[in-house]
Amino acid sequence: MYVLGNVALYLGIGLSIYALIANIIGIKKQDQRWLESARGGVLSIAFVASIAAFLLLYLLATSQFQYKYVYAYTNEQLPLIYKLSAFWAGNAGSLLLWAFILSIYTAMVVGVKKRYTGMTPYVSSLLLLNIIFFFVVIVLNANPFEMTATIPADGNGLNPQLQSPGMVLHPVTLYMGYVGLAVPFSYAIAALIMKKMDSDWIKLTRRWTLVAWLFLTLGNMLGGWWAYLELGWGGYWAWDPVENASFLPWLTVSAFLHSVMIQERKGMLRIWNLSLVILSYLLTLFGTFLVRSGVLTSVHAFGEADLGNYFLVFMAFMMLFSIYVVASRYQLIRKESNPIESYFSKESSFLLNNLILIAGTFIVFWGTMYPLISEFVTGTKVNVGPPYFNKVMAPVFLGLILLMAVCAVIPWHKAVLDRFFRNLTIPFLTAVAFAAVLVVLGVKGIYAIVGLSAAVFMFATHILEFARGVKARRKATKENIFTALVKLTYKNRRRYGGYIVHLGIAIVAIGVVASNAYPEEVMKTINKGEQLSIGNYQLTFEGLTESESRGNGIVHGNMSVTYKDKDIGKIAPEKIFYATWPEPSTEIAIKSNWREDLYVVLNSWESEDKATFLVKVNPFINWIWFGGFMMVVGTAIALIGGKVNVLRTQTPSSTRI
Amino acid sequence: MTKKIFVFITGICLLISPSMTLASFDEGAKEVFEVMKHLDMQGHADDDFSTCSIQQLYYKEIEEMLNDGMTKDEIVQSYVDEYGQAALREPGKDGNGLIAWGMPVIAFLFGVIIVSFGMKKLTNKQSTIKTDSLNEHPSISETEAEILKETFDEERRKHF
Repeated sequence: MYVLGNVALYLGIGLSIYALIANIIGIKKQDQRWLESARGGVLSIAFVASIAAFLLLYLLATSQFQYKYVYAYTNEQLPLIYKLSAFWAGNAGSLLLWAFILSIYTAMVVGVKKRYTGMTPYVSSLLLLNIIFFFVVIVLNANPFEMTATIPADGNGLNPQLQSPGMVLHPVTLYMGYVGLAVPFSYAIAALIMKKMDSDWIKLTRRWTLVAWLFLTLGNMLGGWWAYLELGWGGYWAWDPVENASFLPWLTVSAFLHSVMIQERKGMLRIWNLSLVILSYLLTLFGTFLVRSGVLTSVHAFGEADLGNYFLVFMAFMMLFSIYVVASRYQLIRKESNPIESYFSKESSFLLNNLILIAGTFIVFWGTMYPLISEFVTGTKVNVGPPYFNKVMAPVFLGLILLMAVCAVIPWHKAVLDRFFRNLTIPFLTAVAFAAVLVVLGVKGIYAIVGLSAAVFMFATHILEFARGVKARRKATKENIFTALVKLTYKNRRRYGGYIVHLGIAIVAIGVVASNAYPEEVMKTINKGEQLSIGNYQLTFEGLTESESRGNGIVHGNMSVTYKDKDIGKIAPEKIFYATWPEPSTEIAIKSNWREDLYVVLNSWESEDKATFLVKVNPFINWIWFGGFMMVVGTAIALIGGKVNVLRTQTPSSTRI
Repeated sequence: MTKKIFVFITGICLLISPSMTLASFDEGAKEVFEVMKHLDMQGHADDDFSTCSIQQLYYKEIEEMLNDGMTKDEIVQSYVDEYGQAALREPGKDGNGLIAWGMPVIAFLFGVIIVSFGMKKLTNKQSTIKTDSLNEHPSISETEAEILKETFDEERRKHF
């Protein structure tokens, strides 16, 4: 196994270098045989990377503690699913996962013959550069197949906080998004190298970009959900440096997905779109650098300084290379394009959208790096935490929501003011009425009311857009409402998929604003039989009990719960004492409904009849998860079908540098 | 008369004192958590309160300070005096902290200027606006016009 694993890794390096060289020779000599050989090399890399990945999974599943990685992150008692999840618990495994996903993506780029164009060898060469980098780092610094001197009887086990369904899904989805951005980047640079300044690369990468965005969204949502359930991670979004690092490419890709439509329609913003794609890719490397280097304190950090340096050097190289390619093709990129006809048009609103998204990107980047900058320049450490980000990002998000609200009713080319206002009347009045109802009901907090009303405004605008579409279809086809809605969405997947994403964002916004503005919190020590009240809930302490599971001792804080004097069952937060981990973990208990979460923590106890509980009521939390789900569904709808309309006019042999 | 007033005031004080005791800050006081939210607590701000001894220490200190009559701002300031800006979770509003707060605004304004120039450069009001007859109709929106057009095309393809 040791030999097989290491051979797979070294073969990965060898094959990547060979495929890269074969590509370069094939392009130079315009020789189809070399290009075919390179293609075979890429497919072989995917094969050896798969062998390495499945081998590590096998070692983890069968508890082969003679391997340092298996010993460090698993033990006998660990459930199988977490043994397998330990694949990405440490540096070595997560880098192998990265290399594996990247090699699969590269194989997908070159594997489909009918999509193999003159650009493909360039694209695969750039992706191969990335693959070489990852394999080299794995072999030199983070080899998951390294062995221990003696065979230990049992392993260290997995950090209890990582023993959660979140661990199974969140890292993989996020990596799939991160790695996915290498593909549009490679297409963009390939187009520049080939001096092909049309929008073909954009059409070819639309799906890749959307897939990457989908996984980034899903990864961030799952991460938020996991952090919400896990104490000590600051809630669903703590503006932790590594969370920010995954949010940055999400923002830039969001900007790209909008501005790219202007290039498709008008041939404009070529440099801008190229810059966004390059920036998004570099930000994924930056994020990885943050995680691996430990330069900033984070709950996610693996903290291996050497690895951070590798990423820093690679990021600098790719950045300089991209700048050189863009600068050397600058005059070619600046071609004639169709002008925007009016300041008041969808094109202009997309430019504004890009301004806000990029401003948001800068703010998050600035806030994340400021502690380092401040310490470097003044020698004084300054913390930049959630209070800062909440304050500076709130206007950015509000601006985005309002823009998304009005953007849906602004047509391409030129908007007519009369029609614009007429289309916005109902959503605007709905938002105003909503705000008035909140005030009448005694809801406090002007900023929260403004935020919630803006989200309602945006939601209503998009619902009305659907209604208009359905009405128009029914007028022409006499279909029933459901059929008209389904066909409307199906026939215009990109547009209505996007609208569903926007609806999801509105729902997430309501959840975020409400849960931040109106949480309730109580911490109290109570005796058995005593009650604790919060909001409309009453919790009666029924005493502590103990149990054992897989060698771990568990203390349960049993409580019965009533809501408005109606019994709604029991709740039992826990403290788990692990046999193989020094720190106990606190497991929260939640009673959830569409309106709010009752969130209970067993803090401490004096005896089995007297304990301290921290109880919170978090309003509208489930809206965040539901909104996130809608965003993913909307993106998936936008992705389904749709042909790649790129003529295969350039065969590899007809391509010139 | 003076004696009566004295007895009355003493009575009032005796009545008020238990409620004053009740108003003191104890565990679970919302105010304590509100102060804690501003403090970095030596990097332990996001830790699990139930297992983090640093957070628990801060909790006790803040509770005592509140009971001693200090306001929330005074408590926060007392930590800044002791540990400097590193005591807080956000940069101060003066000195170096101003750069942290000011830079996003400057960057945004800079972006606005660039986009304004860009839009001016990219916009040509004289260009011909291609609109079809459906879109020009004042009573239907762009969405309706587009959907109608697409549906007509679809029907046309189906029948011819």
